[in-house]
Amino acid sequence: MGNSALFAHSMQTWIGAGPIWVWAALSAFLIIYLVALPFGGFATYVERKVAADFQDRVGPNRVGPYGILQFLADAVKMITKEDFIPDGADKFLYNLAPLLVVMGACSAFAALPLSKYLMGADLNIGVLYILAVTTLVAPGILLGSWSSNNKWSLLGGLRGAAQIVSYEIPVALSILPVVLISGTLQVGTIVEQQGWAWSGATTGQYHFWNLFHNPFCFCAAFLLFIAGLAETNRIPFDLPEAESELVSGFNTEFSGMRFGLYALGEFAEVFVMCAVLTALYLGGWHIPFLNLDQMWIKFPEAIIILVQLAMFSIKTLLLVFVVMWLRWTLPRLRVDQLMGMCWKGLVPLSLINLFGTAVWMWVFNGRSLAQLLFGSGHG
Amino acid sequence: MSETAKIVLAVAQLLTVASALLVTFHPNILYASVALLFTFLGVTVMFLFAGADFIAGVQVIVYIGGVTILVLFAIMLTSWLYQIKLRDTRKRMAIPFLLVGIGLVPFFYKAAEELANRVLSSPPANFEAFAGSPKTNLIGEALLNNYLLPFEGVTVLLLGALVGAVWIARPR
Amino acid sequence: MMTFLDWMTGLHGFLFIGMILAALGMIAVIYRRNSIGILLGIELILNAAGLNFIAFSKYRTAAIDGQIFTLFIIIIAAAEAAVALAVILRLYRLRETIDASEANLLRN
Repeated sequence: MGNSALFAHSMQTWIGAGPIWVWAALSAFLIIYLVALPFGGFATYVERKVAADFQDRVGPNRVGPYGILQFLADAVKMITKEDFIPDGADKFLYNLAPLLVVMGACSAFAALPLSKYLMGADLNIGVLYILAVTTLVAPGILLGSWSSNNKWSLLGGLRGAAQIVSYEIPVALSILPVVLISGTLQVGTIVEQQGWAWSGATTGQYHFWNLFHNPFCFCAAFLLFIAGLAETNRIPFDLPEAESELVSGFNTEFSGMRFGLYALGEFAEVFVMCAVLTALYLGGWHIPFLNLDQMWIKFPEAIIILVQLAMFSIKTLLLVFVVMWLRWTLPRLRVDQLMGMCWKGLVPLSLINLFGTAVWMWVFNGRSLAQLLFGSGHG
Repeated sequence: MSETAKIVLAVAQLLTVASALLVTFHPNILYASVALLFTFLGVTVMFLFAGADFIAGVQVIVYIGGVTILVLFAIMLTSWLYQIKLRDTRKRMAIPFLLVGIGLVPFFYKAAEELANRVLSSPPANFEAFAGSPKTNLIGEALLNNYLLPFEGVTVLLLGALVGAVWIARPR
Repeated sequence: MMTFLDWMTGLHGFLFIGMILAALGMIAVIYRRNSIGILLGIELILNAAGLNFIAFSKYRTAAIDGQIFTLFIIIIAAAEAAVALAVILRLYRLRETIDASEANLLRN
């Protein structure tokens, strides 16, 4: 399966011999526990701090300096809370549903390109894999809402499933222009092509960020962001939990650690959405206008990993901040507006983007805007 | 295939058969459709082991993201929240069917044995290499060359199904 | 000598599982009274067919054609599920039930 288990391979070579599947399992474990869970926990703190800033409050400030350990306190609270199952709930599905959500959101981390050498697995169907595993979230929400035996929950769950299934289409259609440009579904290759080359024979290989590849891609990136917001049930598209109409929507009846799992799944999904946007459109681990492979000195691999990891995290976390920003800026849509926007707005627009990118690739022989402007005479 | 890979595949096959049994015989239709989700997952793993990486991705997106959600939707729209009209009431018929099904298993075993031995007596030379190679490019080229007409036909079919489904289910 | 694990993870196993899935699907179509249950059975049968195509594309031809057929099967299954569920919703609105044996307007 291509260059799969990249991270596992490098771990095997660093630490010594051992069967590869042990290292593959260990790397999956490490990525989920070192990236997904801390991010999910810490994001709750950041979200509250950001919300406080926007509303001119102080926010959590009791646990640790600037309240930075608040998420640990929250975790302890959630674990020690009473494990409450409502009367008449369907116990099996009630237990299963939050797990499906977390499973779907966390599995996607395996294919995220944190750096050129730090990646769970560079699958040759990477983009498809991320799209596929995140669909597990929809059954999780629907089953959780039905099993808690509450009408508000059921309404929220039905809304949520309809919304996720519908917005899957603009998400996929907005990813396709990138696949068209790169000619591959492998995330590592897609990111690698978005580098920058000042001059030389390699200009033809690098076409800078896909965001600036052509005008249609520029639009497609914004469509992907909007559709991704809806896909992850964030404000202004959080109809499934709409606290002013549906109490708390699909997770009304969930308390303690099960609610924690839902929250964790949601934050992990937001991170995955932003990371996919970063990897596909914003150049992933690349530093703008700088190519680490073409410097006057050769950096050791560890430095490159750290720099690329920092770059990727900065881009992704900035997008996450924008997501939190939108939460306190935009009002929630109505259900009919939401569906109308998807089917009458985003789907036709993303089809136009796809067609436009195809025409661009045909007319300019696959060269990007940056290559046309700066690369003439080289390659 | 390594021993570990074989064990993973065998677990997936066990999951497939066990959940397919639930799909067929569980009296509660909601549980049956949740079991169907796990059948799809098991079949997806089997696809991966037979070298169909792209098809496995499509299978998860279409079946789990599409068909399962549609089925759950239909179940929740056609049954009241507290009423167990979801249950299948032919419980007494389950046992004869189960017996017939178990009776068929030796026959299937023999049939699979015969058919597979006949096929494997002259296997293609490069099938392990074929299974390990990426398929996305091959599928794309095949769809636009040899299979262009069926491909176009399927697009028309999908459009027809979409319009037809909306037309049938519209409120009157 | 072939162990049972080898047997199950080779072509034999794929065909065996495919047959079991197809049989269970047919039993579901006959046994289920709930029309959604019948739809689930049809999905099982289609999955079994796809499984066979994939297995033979690896072990018999080592070519992509079998996988293309599976792709078409998946697409057709999706179209079929959409139409079938629309029909079921219509039936529910008409007769207040989704019991397949009560859909007998044409009989009397």
